[in-house]
Amino acid sequence: MIHEEYKEMLSAHALAALDHDAANVLNAHLSQCATCRDELVQWNAAAATLALAASTAEPSPKVRERILDRIRAEAQNAQPDSAVKVVAGPQVLPFKQPPRNVWQSIGSLGAIAAAVIFAALLVSLIILWKQNRDAHVELTKLSNETKTLQEDLERKNKALQILAAPGTRMAELSATNMAPGASAKLAFDKNGHAMLMAKGLPAAPRGKAYQLWYIVGNKPMPGKVFTPDSTGNGVLEDQMPAVAMNSAVFAVTLEPASGMPTPTGAIYLHSGS
Amino acid sequence: MQPEQAQTTDVELLHAVAHGDERALAHIYDRYRVVLFGLLVRILNSREEAEDVLQEVFLQVWRRAADFDEKRGRPFTWLVTLARSRAIDRLRALASRERVAQAGAREESEQISDAASDTIRAEQRDLVTNALAQLPDEQKRALMLAYFDGLTQSEIATRLGAPLGTVKTRMRAGMTKLRELLANKSESFGF
Repeated sequence: MIHEEYKEMLSAHALAALDHDAANVLNAHLSQCATCRDELVQWNAAAATLALAASTAEPSPKVRERILDRIRAEAQNAQPDSAVKVVAGPQVLPFKQPPRNVWQSIGSLGAIAAAVIFAALLVSLIILWKQNRDAHVELTKLSNETKTLQEDLERKNKALQILAAPGTRMAELSATNMAPGASAKLAFDKNGHAMLMAKGLPAAPRGKAYQLWYIVGNKPMPGKVFTPDSTGNGVLEDQMPAVAMNSAVFAVTLEPASGMPTPTGAIYLHSGS
Repeated sequence: MQPEQAQTTDVELLHAVAHGDERALAHIYDRYRVVLFGLLVRILNSREEAEDVLQEVFLQVWRRAADFDEKRGRPFTWLVTLARSRAIDRLRALASRERVAQAGAREESEQISDAASDTIRAEQRDLVTNALAQLPDEQKRALMLAYFDGLTQSEIATRLGAPLGTVKTRMRAGMTKLRELLANKSESFGF
């Protein structure tokens, strides 16, 4: 049956004039069709106007009294064990909780369900936000580590290049009492590209760094600063002054992190006398 | 004519009834007793039966006022539908006991005209009466048999000796025409 056929049955349904089977068929359709339900409301209103085609009539005043007596009796029967008796006048009844119909109950349950779903969504959102924030922190950390590793790898590659270059020379630096067990090698090619590779150095205090010195005669010439990693290893790339190429002594001291023009801290490594 | 105000008041009264307000029920009774009792007398053709059903109807209003949903119709429609449904049920029960049989030979009961205060409904009554007067007799007859005698389309076809399809067409055409005529003349009917 098509929709239009159901619609044609609505006016007769409003008159309760459909035969039993037809009414059942239409009721099944109405349970699924909001359009026809809305349309039926209009037809019901139209059918109700037919009541005005009947002549009016006045019922006996006793009917009103019987109705009111009945509802008072029902109200009293509904609260037979109530400890608090409400003294009512002839037109006033104790408050009676109206019966909740099924749609109100469904509405209340729906509101509770909506609140629970909302709370669950809120918790999920907070968890996702925290996970996202943690992931972001982890990503930043990994990115920094990767950057450090890349820089370290780059330095080592340069060190290899310097070591493999023809004419590269090597100087060994040994530890002082400040860093027992530490040692370093300084490789530099004929162009003065130098690479210091140190190990066993203590961690530099905050605000401090190790600085390389080129000592020609008794005059120290400043090199760059570096900080060793957590295992005490440090690599420093530098450009050696030309005057230091042939007759220099090399030393490593602990200085302010920005580096100093002349040594101010203790010597940790040196290359002999 | 202030149909909106009256309608709002009826809705408020039914809500109050739903909360156990006995005075609200009394107000609803006072406002609708004449219309509903007239309808019940017309259907049942007996003042005694009509008064009994009228009492049942208002007890049902008292118990089921919380079921009233203004989105699904006006208080007038809800009350009239309730009363008519109860009356038809009673009519069928009486007919099954063969206590009422003379359809078409109805005797008008003692009836009085509308109260002066019920001018709105009197005006609506005139509109309905005039609208019905404009329907072809066969359409009007089909509507009356369905509404006041509680007959189904098949029963009407049998009563009139007309094909079922013809009765369906007459009923649908009559309702459509009635709705159009009333919708054009007043917005107080709720459609």
